[in-house]
Amino acid sequence: MQAVLDAVVEPRRREILGLVRKVELPAGAIAAQFGDVSRPAISQHLRVLRDAGLLVERREGTRRLYRTRPEGLVELRAFLEEFWDTRLEALRQEAEQEQRSRDHERSERPERKGGKRGPRG
Amino acid sequence: MSDPSDRNARAGSVAHVGEPIVREIHIRATPQTVFEFFTDAGKLTRWLATEATLDPRPGGVCHQEHGREDGSGGSYHMRGEFLEVSPPVRVVFTWGFTDPDVGVPPGSSVVDVTLTPDGDGTRLRLEHRDLPAAEIDSHSEGWTGMLERLATAVTATASDEP
Repeated sequence: MQAVLDAVVEPRRREILGLVRKVELPAGAIAAQFGDVSRPAISQHLRVLRDAGLLVERREGTRRLYRTRPEGLVELRAFLEEFWDTRLEALRQEAEQEQRSRDHERSERPERKGGKRGPRG
Repeated sequence: MSDPSDRNARAGSVAHVGEPIVREIHIRATPQTVFEFFTDAGKLTRWLATEATLDPRPGGVCHQEHGREDGSGGSYHMRGEFLEVSPPVRVVFTWGFTDPDVGVPPGSSVVDVTLTPDGDGTRLRLEHRDLPAAEIDSHSEGWTGMLERLATAVTATASDEP
């Protein structure tokens, strides 16, 4: 997860992900989109994204082709989902504790009726 | 009401990026008991927020302070609005923060909670929809925006690590 987060912190890498989201592109074509960035720097960005699981790299002859890997985003989503998992577990504990204390109060009332109800008739 | 089943079917085994976040849990308490944990500020602050101002009726405020877990002692400010309050069955409220670094502005997303009696307690279903991530599927601006918001959040978090 940390690798994913580190990968998307860099603005160039986010641009690259957007670039190859729908089309697979060779490294050269990706580099051509960034005139102000050196080719080795682009290669480094591609490596970071690939290692984070956000890009798929495919070799075709001497070319390397890249495309965004949607499964990588499952991890991002999991990151966002963790909030609700944690909070709902806390809710469960608090609500069950609240219910126990309410049931306890009710059971201590003298007028409490026990046993099964008779059949309606 | 939108029908999420169509989109789920289309997504298949691939990442359900952009789908609502859905969580279901079983709680050994009555729906009424659970419901109050969404509409009573004293109870909401036992599990979700550090402070809350709630006016549980359609159009009423749903304001929550969430502690920043970075040791700063600061808060995130959730400024929502109740859309539906039907005890003890359903409560719906908007979800968003005035803090730009969260990336979810007020009114931008919706939390929809339904409670159903289930055996010895309640089945709770929470759906958090219209999150910024939902834009990923539709256009690249949304995609980039989501990544940028995430990066901002990550940067803020990472700088607090020891």
